[in-house]
Amino acid sequence: MYADTQLLKKAVIAATVAAACGLTPGTVIAEGPGFAFGNSAAQNAACLKCHADLQKVGDGHQINGADYQHTTHAQFGCRTCHDNVPDSHPDGKNIARTTACVECHTDVAEQYTVSKHSLEAPDCGSCHNPHTAQKSGQVSALEMNAICTNCHNQIKIASTHAQWLPQTDLHLGAITCVTCHTKTEGFVLSIYIARKDIKGSASRPVIADYNYLSEKAAGKEIQELVDTNHDTYISLEELRRFSSNASNKDLYLKAILTPATTSHAFQTSDKSYNCTFCHASGPNATQISKLVLPEKNGSYRHVAIEGGGTLGSLNAIPDFYMMGSTRNTLLNKLGALILAGGLVMPAGHGFMRFLTRKNRKKE
Amino acid sequence: MKTKLIYLQPTPVRIWHWLNALGIVTLCISGAQIRFPEFISICGNYRSAILLHNTAGIVVALSFSFWFFYYKLVSGNLVDIYVPKVQELSNGLMKQIFFYFYAYFKGAASPFHATPENKFNPMQKSAYLAVMFVIVPLVSLTGIMLLNIGPLRQMLLVIGGLGVVATLHFLLACVLGAFLVTHVYLATLGSTPLAYFKPMWTGWEKVEHHHEHEPPHGAATDNVH
Ligand code: HEM
Repeated sequence: MYADTQLLKKAVIAATVAAACGLTPGTVIAEGPGFAFGNSAAQNAACLKCHADLQKVGDGHQINGADYQHTTHAQFGCRTCHDNVPDSHPDGKNIARTTACVECHTDVAEQYTVSKHSLEAPDCGSCHNPHTAQKSGQVSALEMNAICTNCHNQIKIASTHAQWLPQTDLHLGAITCVTCHTKTEGFVLSIYIARKDIKGSASRPVIADYNYLSEKAAGKEIQELVDTNHDTYISLEELRRFSSNASNKDLYLKAILTPATTSHAFQTSDKSYNCTFCHASGPNATQISKLVLPEKNGSYRHVAIEGGGTLGSLNAIPDFYMMGSTRNTLLNKLGALILAGGLVMPAGHGFMRFLTRKNRKKE
Repeated sequence: MKTKLIYLQPTPVRIWHWLNALGIVTLCISGAQIRFPEFISICGNYRSAILLHNTAGIVVALSFSFWFFYYKLVSGNLVDIYVPKVQELSNGLMKQIFFYFYAYFKGAASPFHATPENKFNPMQKSAYLAVMFVIVPLVSLTGIMLLNIGPLRQMLLVIGGLGVVATLHFLLACVLGAFLVTHVYLATLGSTPLAYFKPMWTGWEKVEHHHEHEPPHGAATDNVH
């Protein structure tokens, strides 16, 4: 993901900055090939002294320290992207960013430039804030969708989908935008713990946050709300037990189909219009499911759910129904047997009826 | 042989029956496509199959209510017509089975004669009771649940989840399919293959004029109208 670009940076604290930040002038805060790993936290703190404070720096320059700290970008440090802070800073002048996103995210840029999105929103910043950006696995499905709905009107989304997609609301709530609208191969069924006591809607479920769940867990890890045997692995039985546990009345498991790996190649694949891609082969197309749990810092982490495909985990969530997911060979055979039972009598009787037709001859 | 016409099937029953039959045949076909979309495409694409299935399901559920209200409130003989009496079960059922699977082949006439007050032979009664009081209501109910999983979430949890509902819906639909085949076949076992169909279409049944308790026997005279 991160190209080892020739980022040779040497950043030295200038006198004015040093004065403002309470550091010794001349301190080298980033140097050498690669990134300023290591003591970036302290260096970031120096910048954040002012930049976390809305009053000091004003809108547009303010960085939320807590959010920023959890980004991978924070590990590289402010100076990795903003290394030409002049001696005169802060002097009211804007400072150009010196490292473009593409310098590191080359593959993303490659994927992105071929899509129509790159014309409408050429700047990564249109969708992503580098000071809060997290890895795709760390954001919830709803947060992913929120990036899209920043520009795409939700009512319009609903109405264009409704033109062809039945149960539009349910679908939009059970599949992220990028599941269908980017070039992705594999899918993962991400299962969230959602709130039942707060009224959401099928398309806008309310995912339980860390504080709520940790209060619920009463001192234990929130994972243990589901993972009752503490093996960091969710069995279907544990999913089932979670759903039927009376003390979880306020919660439910919300399954959302997410891409296995995110892509910036925005395109709507043909299979998105092919209902049977999910509904007939569903259990095969999505073999992996994961429980997604909120973290204290606002990000999310995944816990593996017992294999055997989505079929099991879907049926282990009693109020989640994906058409096609109950399709299994045993049931189909049983159905065929019942139908065959209906045919036996007419076939047998019909045969005898034919043989004895003379007995019923009319005069 | 003299024949007379009796008015066996009132108009509301006929409307219900054919609406219901059309609906259920549609449901079977579109349902099969929804379950096996890679093999069946009679109803167009998946979406149109679902749309058709949902619509037919609502039509059947409504026409079922219509059937119920007609028999229960208008004609008022739902129980008399559909619920077999003890005697019918202990004696009549075996008689009727004996007729269909033995005497019929020898050319005998049905021991049962339909009247507007007692339309069904014990076999019909038992089958229709099961179909109209158990299978159709249950398939409709599970179908309605699958159409409204959001609002019915709490209730669904109580009855064991959607897996249970969807499985029940599928298996009961298969039972209905099996019934349909048997039903249509049995309906051809009248004195002529269309004898039972005509009253369901026109309302009137042609019956031989005979004395009570003295059913004619022997096909030779029996089936001539
Ligand atoms: C193409 C499909 C069908 C055909 C050709 C057909 C034919 C007939 C015929 C000829 C009768 C009159 C004979 C009798 O009373 O037994 C009848 C009655 C009846 N059929 Fe059907 N049927 C069809 C579908 C269905 C379905 C799908 C159901 C229920 C799910 C059904 C339920 C009944 C019932 C309950 C009666 C008795 C109605 C009454 O008199 O109250 N039929 N059908």
